[in-house]
Amino acid sequence: MTLTTLLLLAAALIGIGIYGALSQQSFVMLMMGLEMILNGVMLAAVAFWAFSGAGVPEGQLLTIIVMAVMAIEMAMGFALVVAVFRGKQADMTESLTGLKH
Amino acid sequence: MFLNELFLPVLMVTFMLTVGAYVVAVLDRLIAGALGTPQAGSVWLAPMARGAWLMIQHANATEAPDWQAWRLAPALYLALAAIGLAVVPWSESLVATDLVTSVVLWGSVEALATVVIFLHGWSANALLALIGGYRYVALGLSYILISMFVLIGVALPAESLQFTQVVASQEALWNVIRQPLGLPLFLIVGLGMTFWGPLNLADSTDLAGGTASEISGPPRLVWDVARAAMLVAFSGVAASAFLGGWLGPWLPGPLWMAIKMLAVLLVLLLLGRLLPRIAPERCVTLMWVVLLPLSFLDLVWAGIGALL
Amino acid sequence: MNHGTGVDIAFLLLATLAVVTGWRVFRTDSMVRASFFLLVSFIAVGVIMILLAAEYLGVAMFFMMAVEMTVMALFMVMFMMNPAGLNPMNMVHQERISIGAGVVGFLVLGAMALFAAFPDQPVSASLDPVKSLGNEMLGDSMLIFESAGLVLLTTMIGVVVLSSHRGRYGAAAEGSLPPGLEPGGDPAGKPEEDEEGEDGGHQHHHHHH
Repeated sequence: MTLTTLLLLAAALIGIGIYGALSQQSFVMLMMGLEMILNGVMLAAVAFWAFSGAGVPEGQLLTIIVMAVMAIEMAMGFALVVAVFRGKQADMTESLTGLKH
Repeated sequence: MFLNELFLPVLMVTFMLTVGAYVVAVLDRLIAGALGTPQAGSVWLAPMARGAWLMIQHANATEAPDWQAWRLAPALYLALAAIGLAVVPWSESLVATDLVTSVVLWGSVEALATVVIFLHGWSANALLALIGGYRYVALGLSYILISMFVLIGVALPAESLQFTQVVASQEALWNVIRQPLGLPLFLIVGLGMTFWGPLNLADSTDLAGGTASEISGPPRLVWDVARAAMLVAFSGVAASAFLGGWLGPWLPGPLWMAIKMLAVLLVLLLLGRLLPRIAPERCVTLMWVVLLPLSFLDLVWAGIGALL
Repeated sequence: MNHGTGVDIAFLLLATLAVVTGWRVFRTDSMVRASFFLLVSFIAVGVIMILLAAEYLGVAMFFMMAVEMTVMALFMVMFMMNPAGLNPMNMVHQERISIGAGVVGFLVLGAMALFAAFPDQPVSASLDPVKSLGNEMLGDSMLIFESAGLVLLTTMIGVVVLSSHRGRYGAAAEGSLPPGLEPGGDPAGKPEEDEEGEDGGHQHHHHHH
């Protein structure tokens, strides 16, 4: 377990997350991709804190903030899905073309 | 190092899982007998007989269940009970894992229990089991916040998130007196997370057994043992958080701990036998409208106590 | 930071678990399984954090993600046509571009991990990570921490407003239009529609529901 291996793992998680966020058609699955990216980000932040930041408390604080961001992303995402579903009976990204043209 | 750090804790937790589950089964039958339900055969042998009977029964199968999740869920619930038992301190040094954030770890056991029980109900691909799973999620999302506030209240005077420190902070005064609202609220959480008695929404009789309605044989045995073990783990946590854990005069610490755990278990099992089951929608209203504000009050009380 | 081989083996297993379950999230037919695969991936990362001595963060990850993923699974069941995965399905678009973007992301970040020179300043053994985090959150960085709390509160309000059935003019299911200027008249504040002929179906929808 070194900084390099930890960062490689974080990079892999972020890579999978990017794939998920770009490829999924369903809003909820798309959000899962975003969560996966943040998963990698948190791991990288803790890895830097442990190996390269000499344990400065801000490193841990950053991870807490990312967790809060995740909670906000989830809540807003679901609320938007509910609102869109009410308006258009849609849960797919393709069915939202209102801002396209 | 291998012996001390891995083997002995695992042995200790396994021992407590088995003995604890047996004690719960016997106590529950004794209470039922005392309250007037006739018990066939010996109270002491009946749990083992039922266990042996379940072992040789055929494990039921439904149409196209999610096999992995269905078979794993009872085992995962048992594993969560084991994690709960691992953080319970029996004395200053006799504790399986003395993690510095063991109070938070117990909180996550409560949260993960919701996941596992939902998974158990959902994966059977059967109607009543699914309803049980959904009901449990409604209950689980309600009690988790109450539990968090009560546990933060306990951690405040200890200035630590470690159960050994929480117990040590009760040297002068037990938390059950210092924070009078804490233990009653926490007992409700305990009934919720083992879906026992009045809060048995997941496996209730009106759903023909709910999440457990479709399982039989060895998986059923694991599920029943896991529920009982979770009740034991919970009473260990409650005894450490509110009743001063191993503290007490004359007797050695672990014995005090065992007595207090048994006392909590008795109260829970009595409540389970005496109180009627609450309807799910009323239960959720009660949790959010009455009990959650009470847990805020408990936390404010604990905060004022810590400031003075 | 010194650790034994046991920690290395555990890290390797957990890293494999995190990546494999993370990949399975987007490869399983069942949406409920997808959200619980994501949970397993988070838990593996949480255990790695505990191995890295960030004991609070690792454990916080468990309970945060357990609750989040339960809610996620419920939303999956509500909104997806095939939550149990009993039928095979494939709901992806622009898959080649996405795979390319994912691989490029991994390669760029991985190259940074491999070739960049980061300072070697491990956590000192005397540091109490939980205490240091608590002191930071309610000490120097209190403003940041409290702002996060405030933003969460704002989110809660916003979410309730966004997902609420009822607006100022009544329930969404009943059209939610402002009342007319005179009894029974057209809704107030609505622009005149002059395309009566070609937009008949639309009109019908608004007036009679």
